Amino acid sequence: MKKPAFLFNQRITVLVAVLVILFIIFAYGSLIYPHSWFQPSGGSLEPPSVTHVLGTDDLGIDIFAQLSRGFFTSILIGLMAAAIAFMLGGVLGGLAGYFKGWVDESISFVINLFLAIPQLPIMIVMGAFFGPSIVNVVLIVALFSWAPIAKIVRAKMVERIDSNYIRLAKSYGGGFFYIVKTHLLPDILPVLSVNAIAVIGKAIVQEASLAFLGLSDPLSKSWGLMMNKAINFKGIYFMDAWIWWLLPPLFCLMGTILCIRLISREIENQLIND
Amino acid sequence: MKKRCLILSLILASFILVTGCSSDSTDNATTDKHVEVIRLAGGTDWGSPNPFLNVGRGPGIGKTKLIFDSLLEADESGIIPWLATEWSVEGNVFTFKLKDGAAFHDGTPLTTADVAFTIDYYKAHPPVSNPISNNLIQSYEIVDPGTIKISVEKPLATTIAKLGSFQILPKHIWEKVADPATFNSPEAFIGSGPYKFSSYDAAAGSYEFIAYEDYNIAKPAADKIQFVPVSDALLAFENNEIDICDVPVDVLEKYEQDDSVGIITKDNDMGYRILINFEKIPAFNDLNLRAALYQGIDRQGIVDKVFRGSGAVGSAGYVPPTNIFFSDNVKTYDYNKEAALAAFKDKNIQVKIAVGNSGADVKIAELVKLNLEEIGIGVDMAAYDTQVRDDKVYSGDYEMAIVGNGGWGREPDYLRTIYSANSKNKAKSPASMGPIGWDNPDITQLAEDQLKEMDPEKRKEMFKALQDKISQEIPIIVLATQTTNVIYRPDYYDGWTKTYDYQQFEQNRLSYVEQ
Repeated sequence: MKKPAFLFNQRITVLVAVLVILFIIFAYGSLIYPHSWFQPSGGSLEPPSVTHVLGTDDLGIDIFAQLSRGFFTSILIGLMAAAIAFMLGGVLGGLAGYFKGWVDESISFVINLFLAIPQLPIMIVMGAFFGPSIVNVVLIVALFSWAPIAKIVRAKMVERIDSNYIRLAKSYGGGFFYIVKTHLLPDILPVLSVNAIAVIGKAIVQEASLAFLGLSDPLSKSWGLMMNKAINFKGIYFMDAWIWWLLPPLFCLMGTILCIRLISREIENQLIND
Repeated sequence: MKKRCLILSLILASFILVTGCSSDSTDNATTDKHVEVIRLAGGTDWGSPNPFLNVGRGPGIGKTKLIFDSLLEADESGIIPWLATEWSVEGNVFTFKLKDGAAFHDGTPLTTADVAFTIDYYKAHPPVSNPISNNLIQSYEIVDPGTIKISVEKPLATTIAKLGSFQILPKHIWEKVADPATFNSPEAFIGSGPYKFSSYDAAAGSYEFIAYEDYNIAKPAADKIQFVPVSDALLAFENNEIDICDVPVDVLEKYEQDDSVGIITKDNDMGYRILINFEKIPAFNDLNLRAALYQGIDRQGIVDKVFRGSGAVGSAGYVPPTNIFFSDNVKTYDYNKEAALAAFKDKNIQVKIAVGNSGADVKIAELVKLNLEEIGIGVDMAAYDTQVRDDKVYSGDYEMAIVGNGGWGREPDYLRTIYSANSKNKAKSPASMGPIGWDNPDITQLAEDQLKEMDPEKRKEMFKALQDKISQEIPIIVLATQTTNVIYRPDYYDGWTKTYDYQQFEQNRLSYVEQ
């Protein structure tokens, strides 16, 4: 089987390597590093040292350990939200494009509705309404991420469904599942995957936004929440602590999002070129 | 020679005049200075500033007091005349004489008919903060438009303070209002206080009050008072966007060396405790388990980490050690994880703890959760918006709750409203949040009796005995009390005034009038 061309793209390789390095560093922070991400292991606001490589927060909890935990929380939220958006967007977009008629009209109406709704205010209201938990954050983020995927999948389906080979397959008695699996999925899957990767990055930002606004579980650990707590620490800007408390989650968030977005874009470009 | 003496005398006279003048002007600058605006950090919704719609916590009640006056006021030395210029007590009858010319913001004169109406209205529709609750007032008699006699069953130690502090409503407006909870037209904000309502934005947590130009009790110290939403209060203070703000202990030293900045300390006035609903967790009826719970929480850790060392470990008798009513004989419970672990071993206790979702509440919750899990208690921390958490506590919808509030430095009649079976959980106020499903007749008796004692020294001893008993029973886990510092610019405005028993001076009406 021929490997997809993007696996040989140098830029993608570099970006994936960066993510893998981050993964290894944070896996070390989560599994081997001696300090807990939730228990105080030092004094309050200790600056970076050999013992605490990135210092401690006001409760004496190690920043690097929290950062490591935050990475996996963010990635997990991103993957879960992307998986839901992938499924929802793929299925609904596929159904709309395949069946057309009232099915297409109904689903397209819902897709356009979700595309038109301003996301952040609604997410804030829903976050406040449903309460702060990781599951709720995942569901809220997924709810606002499936529509663009569905729209693209639908367009791709509409384009393919009128092709002669699909008509032929239908005339030979090919059923819905057979046609989708054999003829449509190979075309749609790469587009779906690229968009799903983009959702990972978007979900991480949105989770961080909700956490930063205080709408995430305040007792969990994520990068957004770390920034929220650092910024809300009275007098943080008049002390040195912002350097080791606020900046690491900020840079980690920016770096990870950048990597994921660039990977998504590079794969997209590669697919277009192919 | 004569001429030289004359010149010397003139120089001396000029010197005295100049120094005398400069001295006067400094005094004026720091005490009677009128400013255009006093700006404080806003950003939190404390409800609409009227007696029925404010959030029943200090900042909400304090804003309402700017608009709605009361018969008496309090300064640093004690109770002082206010709307009532004179008062007297004969037996169980209190007579108040109102100040001539007092009027509401719409120009309608304020008379004793309004005072009487308010008493009746509050009986039918209790306000958020109700000093005259529990049928304190038996009857009243309007002697004339400026004099009213109020009868109580028995004068108690706190009666005059309570009669003097309820907020007076304009009868001509409120007599038409059947449901005060839904009445929020502009008329709902007409009072007789030193400031008139100008604007309120719930979403932004901003408020503006403007001086009532015809106020004849004292001159408003500012044309406007604004509560401005700020992202970081200290930065806003530095940028001159607000005139006063809390300063964290970490940067206090910087301001201690700055002569242009004044610092006011509130000594252990903010406190945090764990409330237990014994009906939902009957296991804690066992005193040994309560003691183990106390031992299992590293309360010094809370002081060191959450309060950055600025505070004190909570006294098991509730009253903080810096309060003059504190008892030295309260039982203490030192942190002893091993003893607590042994007590909870095999008990398999699971608790759900309601906690506020911001500020110190979350940090305390984080540390308490760790401590409790270490001693074998399963913890599900449920974080809510402060008002939602408070509502859960008021309605008894909780197993355990971490609650914080100010006012711990005041005279501890709050022991009665927290621990007495007859008085606890009667009002929607943090000072009324008592343990549900727990009662101790001795503590109830003593908490109620102190109110009847009119000799201050004997009453003080009763407060101490009460704390000693509470510290033996420990139905509430008192975590820690915090000492906070506030900075302001005395050159701009220096009228901040604590009352004799309340340190939260930003909530004091006197802080905003010229004295």
